[in-house]
Order: sequence, then C-alpha cells, then structure tokens
Amino acid sequence: MKKILITGLIAGCILFVLSYGGLFLGVRFFPKLFVAYDNPLFNSDGNRDVLFYMHAFIISFALSWFWDRFKVLFKGTLLMRGLEFGLVYSVIALLPVMWISFSSLDITVVMVLSWFLYGLAQAIIAGLVFAKINP
Amino acid sequence: MKKWVVNENSSLSVNGSTNINKFSCVIPAYGRIDTITLNKSKDEKGIVLSGSIDLKVNSFDCHNSGMTKQLQKTLNQKQFPLLHIRFLSLDRLPVITAKPQLITGMVDIEIAGVTKRFGINYQISQDAEKGIDLLGSRNLNFSDFNLIPPTKLGGMIKTKDQLTVAFNLNMKTI
Repeated sequence: MKKILITGLIAGCILFVLSYGGLFLGVRFFPKLFVAYDNPLFNSDGNRDVLFYMHAFIISFALSWFWDRFKVLFKGTLLMRGLEFGLVYSVIALLPVMWISFSSLDITVVMVLSWFLYGLAQAIIAGLVFAKINP
Repeated sequence: MKKWVVNENSSLSVNGSTNINKFSCVIPAYGRIDTITLNKSKDEKGIVLSGSIDLKVNSFDCHNSGMTKQLQKTLNQKQFPLLHIRFLSLDRLPVITAKPQLITGMVDIEIAGVTKRFGINYQISQDAEKGIDLLGSRNLNFSDFNLIPPTKLGGMIKTKDQLTVAFNLNMKTI
C-alpha cells in the first residue's frame, strides 16, 4: 500500500507539472483550440479550480493501484511497459468515456480528441514512472 | 419639448475579450418601439431626457452558441432577463444634419439588477430617410454590476473585466 501511495504521489507531482504546464502552453500558443471552452458547459466561477488541479493526483493514485495490481502483465523494456500501460488504460477507460461524452454533450470532435490524447499522454508518462520506480 | 421615437431596427453590441480571443455579441434588432422625451433643463443649457430602452438579454447573439449561452449566464439572464438603458440628459440640443455631431450625455445602465450612471459620448446625424441615428458607446466593467467575468480550465482562460457597450438608435422626431 505504501509503495502504491509513494509511486502515486511521485507520478502525481510529475503529471501536475507536465499536464498543467502543457495546458498553459497550449492555451498560450494554440488559443483557437480553446475558444470552445467559453461555454457554460464548463465551470466558470472558479469554485471547482482546486478539484481541477487535483486531477493529476487523482489519476496518478488510481493508475498506481492499477499498475501494482497488474504490472506482471506488462512485459519488455521500460519504454514498452509504459507505452502498453498507457494504451491499455486509454482503450479500457478513456475511449468509452470519450464516446459517451461526445454522444451526449454539446462538445466538438477536436475537444474530445484532445481529451483522449491528453489522457493517453498522462497514462504513458505515469506508466513510465511506475515501470521505473515500482517495476 | 421634443419626442424621439426609437425604431425597432435599433441595435446594441457588447464587445469584450478573453486572454485567447475577442467576442462581439449583438442584439441586431431592438424589436420594439419606445419614446424618448427631450425637455430643456432649468438652466436652459442642457437637455433633460426621459425614456429608456429595455433589451432582452436572451436576444444577444455572439455568433457562437457556446459564447452566447455563456454571456447570458454571466449576465444572470434567468433572474434578470432585461438590460435597461435610461436616458437622462444631453449637454445641448443637437441640430440634426447629415454631418455627424458629437454630443455628450448621461445614462443609467441597469444590468443584472444593478444600476450605474455613466457619461456617454454620442454621435448624432440624420440618415437618408430623414431619421435620426444616435450612436453611443461606453467602456464599462463586469465588476461595475457585481458580475464576475467567467474563467475556465482552472483560470487558464480568463474573460477580461472591461466591456464596450455600443448602441445605434434609429429614431424619428414626432
């Protein structure tokens, strides 16, 4: 349990920096991709900002548990294990959620694709961290 | 005493910006007819106005359905469906000619139940059909009306506090 929490915390810190840093750069250099977020579908009064920024840790702890439970199934080099882990998570968890989100919410294909790729990148990075510190 | 009848094809726009884009939301046609009355003030220099225009917040069109809904939410459209501009005064009685004249005046603007008084710079002229075109614009802030400009994605997308409200009243003298 301690190992899961520690690896989750380390991955959370790394994902926090990369995810929100990447998002900040994305907003700055590709502003047109983010115009669609000016919509009441997305929280606008800032009362959930803490939850928004906690996401990196929520996903890291969840993935840390998942890795610890199923890591024996991911074989090969560190890079291959991280990539496969990210892909497995994306196919099992992300793809169905993105599918139902797009089918039921007034959001664009670009938005859903960007969320999928964002989640895939997060899971691959987390997988690489787990493969390194909790092989 | 004079009376100006505000025609239904008068319009109003709200222009603002975020850190990623600019937006322009318009009410392209007022859709109703109202009257503004002009009287000389007691000191004989200025003009006292009485009359207002009442605009439906759900008539705003930001040319993007999400942004339109966001503006209506920010202006608290469900609780305050109307935006009011009450005309109070002009610095002088304008002589209406085809050549635009600059005049100033005072208005009360009520948004989301909060009323604030502003000075406005007008441009007034006569149009081809002998009607009166009154253009007015004013910079104001969401915060003037206790409104919070929206932020998105944990504050990474921020709407700026300042807005420009511009109206184009097409009127006739009666």
